[in-house]
Amino acid sequence: MRVNGTTVHPDDPAARLLDYLRDDLGLRAAKEGCGMGECGSCTVLVDGRPVCSCLVLVGQVADGQVVTAESLGDNDPADQPGLADRLRESLVTAHAPQCGFCIPGLIVSAHALLSENLQPTDEQICCGLEGNLCRCTGYRSIVGAIRAVQP
Amino acid sequence: MTTPTRSAEQTRTRPTPTVGQSIPADDGWPIVTGRLEYVTDRRVPGMLHGAIARARVPHARIDEIDVTAARAIPGVVAVLLAEDVPVNMLGPTEAHGPVLADETVLQFGDPVALIAAVDESTAQAAAAAVRIRTTDLPVVDSVAAALAPGAPALHEGGNRAAHTSFASGDVEAALAASHLVIQRVVHTPSQEHVAIETPGGVADIEGDGVTVWCGSQNPGVHRAKIAGALGIDIADVRLISNPVGGAFGSRNDDPMPVYLAVLAFMTRRPVHLRMTREDVMAVGPKRHPFDTTIRLGLDAHGTITASDMVCLADTGPYVTSGPYVLKTSAELSVGPYRMPMARFDGTVVYTNNANGGAFRGYGVPQVAFPLETALTEAADRLGIDPVEIRLRNILRGGDEHGLYRHHVTSGLRAAETLTAAAKHPWWAGRADWRRDQRAPWRRGTGIALAMKGVGLGSAKGDVARARLIVSRDGLVQIWAGPNHTGQAIDTTYAQIAADALALPLDRVRVRVGDSQLVPESGPTASSRSTYSGGAAVRRVCDELLARVRQMTGADRVDAAACRALIAAGRAELVGEFPLPEAELGAIPAGQLGEYTPHLVFSCSAQVARVEVNELTGELHVLGLVCAVDCGTAINPAGVIGQAEGGVAQGLGYAVMEEHLVVGGRPVTTSLENYLMPTVRDVPPIETILVPGNEPTGPMGAKGMSEVVVVPTAPAIAAAVFEAVDVLPDRLPITPQRLLGWMRGGPGSSGRTRRVGGTAA
Repeated sequence: MRVNGTTVHPDDPAARLLDYLRDDLGLRAAKEGCGMGECGSCTVLVDGRPVCSCLVLVGQVADGQVVTAESLGDNDPADQPGLADRLRESLVTAHAPQCGFCIPGLIVSAHALLSENLQPTDEQICCGLEGNLCRCTGYRSIVGAIRAVQP
Repeated sequence: MTTPTRSAEQTRTRPTPTVGQSIPADDGWPIVTGRLEYVTDRRVPGMLHGAIARARVPHARIDEIDVTAARAIPGVVAVLLAEDVPVNMLGPTEAHGPVLADETVLQFGDPVALIAAVDESTAQAAAAAVRIRTTDLPVVDSVAAALAPGAPALHEGGNRAAHTSFASGDVEAALAASHLVIQRVVHTPSQEHVAIETPGGVADIEGDGVTVWCGSQNPGVHRAKIAGALGIDIADVRLISNPVGGAFGSRNDDPMPVYLAVLAFMTRRPVHLRMTREDVMAVGPKRHPFDTTIRLGLDAHGTITASDMVCLADTGPYVTSGPYVLKTSAELSVGPYRMPMARFDGTVVYTNNANGGAFRGYGVPQVAFPLETALTEAADRLGIDPVEIRLRNILRGGDEHGLYRHHVTSGLRAAETLTAAAKHPWWAGRADWRRDQRAPWRRGTGIALAMKGVGLGSAKGDVARARLIVSRDGLVQIWAGPNHTGQAIDTTYAQIAADALALPLDRVRVRVGDSQLVPESGPTASSRSTYSGGAAVRRVCDELLARVRQMTGADRVDAAACRALIAAGRAELVGEFPLPEAELGAIPAGQLGEYTPHLVFSCSAQVARVEVNELTGELHVLGLVCAVDCGTAINPAGVIGQAEGGVAQGLGYAVMEEHLVVGGRPVTTSLENYLMPTVRDVPPIETILVPGNEPTGPMGAKGMSEVVVVPTAPAIAAAVFEAVDVLPDRLPITPQRLLGWMRGGPGSSGRTRRVGGTAA
């Protein structure tokens, strides 16, 4: 298993991926908001796909490539270098984060969306982000920031 | 759908260098890179992990708490019971509840033991191993049950937690003489905050005292609760209350800082503890559910003759914010309207349901919904435009408040706010838009208006403070409160300071949220942070300027001036801003603190456009306009963010959110069955910042983050009324309910256009 480009050897295959990342590796960008895959605050990339790390056991991704919000740029597509930083910049300049607790999970989902399609429609943005709950923003500034990310 | 526009750049603000500019929050980059350490992210070497054992019955006598098995689990360091808490009280009276229950369970999820163990899973296993033997008592599961003759008394004084009553004249006579009386009987639901970071954090001991890292909107009260429970001085309690993942009122009444402090203090070790979402759903404070009856009298021209409102609020078993929520409900029962006379009678009632506490809007959504829908119904019955009927009665700056008759601030812009919303094409062009509806979808557009007091209210001792120190290099450091929970209030304070001192923004450093550094500034509540906290910052800056002028003869706060202040031992200043109080008006002398009226109010008017499926009752909210009167918008993009987030919470309240407790047991137990808006549910929101200037506010500003929650539900209800001739009187407006009302079936509480109100 590789996490943010580093090979790791977890002791307990039955540990939740979220707990392993936060408690064993000290990667605390992924947050626990519900523990049942409803809020998306714990979203990380596993082999390029956004997943709720509270629903995944370490043993299930033993051969996986895990990327967290801290190292999102590691997963920038070859044809879109700097995508993660442009997305971050866009969120900050759009005043999208308020409390920001949902943002590390949400930005992982947004990055996965934009990696496949840099100019998503509103419907595609909804599909990409509907697994990420935010209670502060009403989402509009986040959607606007994602639309504003340029190649 | 129209693309949302942002009105920040259209806003007129004072021509000063940073106020009126949209400045991104300082912690934006730490957030988007995942590196911001929230209080529950904090780890301390050698720390223990906590858990809470809870009783899973709503009302019972505790016969025995057996912790033998829990204590025997390897790795368990402490299992603390009520007897281990030095002073087992969460507040000054029995009705505030104990820290840990030992005699009686009054709410499903009441805590009985605090556990500390070497890791989280061991702590949770120990919590599960605590055996609680109870004898069930009769469950007081509703306000009606609580007030019924012979109901079990949940507290010594009975089941009435608070009562507020006020009349400004003979309302019965005025209603009897009215051309039309609209009567509406309305229920508004319990709502959960769903701050995404659940309560939690870390506590550690420090000498004789304790330091707690835990979200708090009310550090002063939380420190007092901690000191009280531990039997130590408040000065020995340090509370660091951010960064934290949202609040919305939930961190005003949250006992978590006390649990953390007790665990660390009794184990003499650092302890980490956080709540599960399920526990927050069960025991976290909620927006009070209200049962409200309004009678609104009008003449034939739509001028209000009298208003009478009676409210019953379910506050659950303990006193937190309930009595104060009710005072706000009373004051805003008349909305932003002139009323020749009005009466309010409200009662807060104890039950075994979820605790009702503080929630953004603080009692105003519950009274605005009946009042605004009554005006919508009155406009329909009298054949008057919904905007026109409101403008005919509107409260203008300097007018007498509709209930308490004190003069409100000249900065009120209710009429301008309503007019700004009504000018939006979604309102102005609503008839054309409606003509394009296609079956089975029926279209409607609605409008509503609200205002909400800024600050805790008169005679509440509302004072904000800011501490300032200059450094040798000319840097100005400010520690100010209230704290923030996601509003970037530190950026707002910095903008005010930079402009007050005529300094670039990067010469000012602002820190919030650490009780050791920030002087007591009161709660992050009642829309007071920008207004009162900002005003305290403004004052300390003005005092600095005066001191510099006195010492150097110049107005420049530069490095030389700062060094002169340091050399003179005059480098530190504290400024404070006591909330301006309202005059008595109709309130009897000596009773200002009973009613806590406000001088300053912010306003929001909202337009909702909806489609209703006449076959299924499905309701789509397609767009919301939010006009806001916040005086000067110090940081316009921040204001728009608050507006959009507030509107989304108002939308949830209107169409999907309802925390349900049946027989004292929670039914909506998690985010799987408690629905809140996702990105798909929130339509385009067009925020309009109404030009204004609050004369008592810093740079003309006043708070606005609560009032934006309020008009959403009545605006949506009015839109539903236009679409399908049903004016909902119960929230949320779910498809099942709406379909039932449209069909007029049994249990229908919606009111069709034909049935209408009760004409006098």
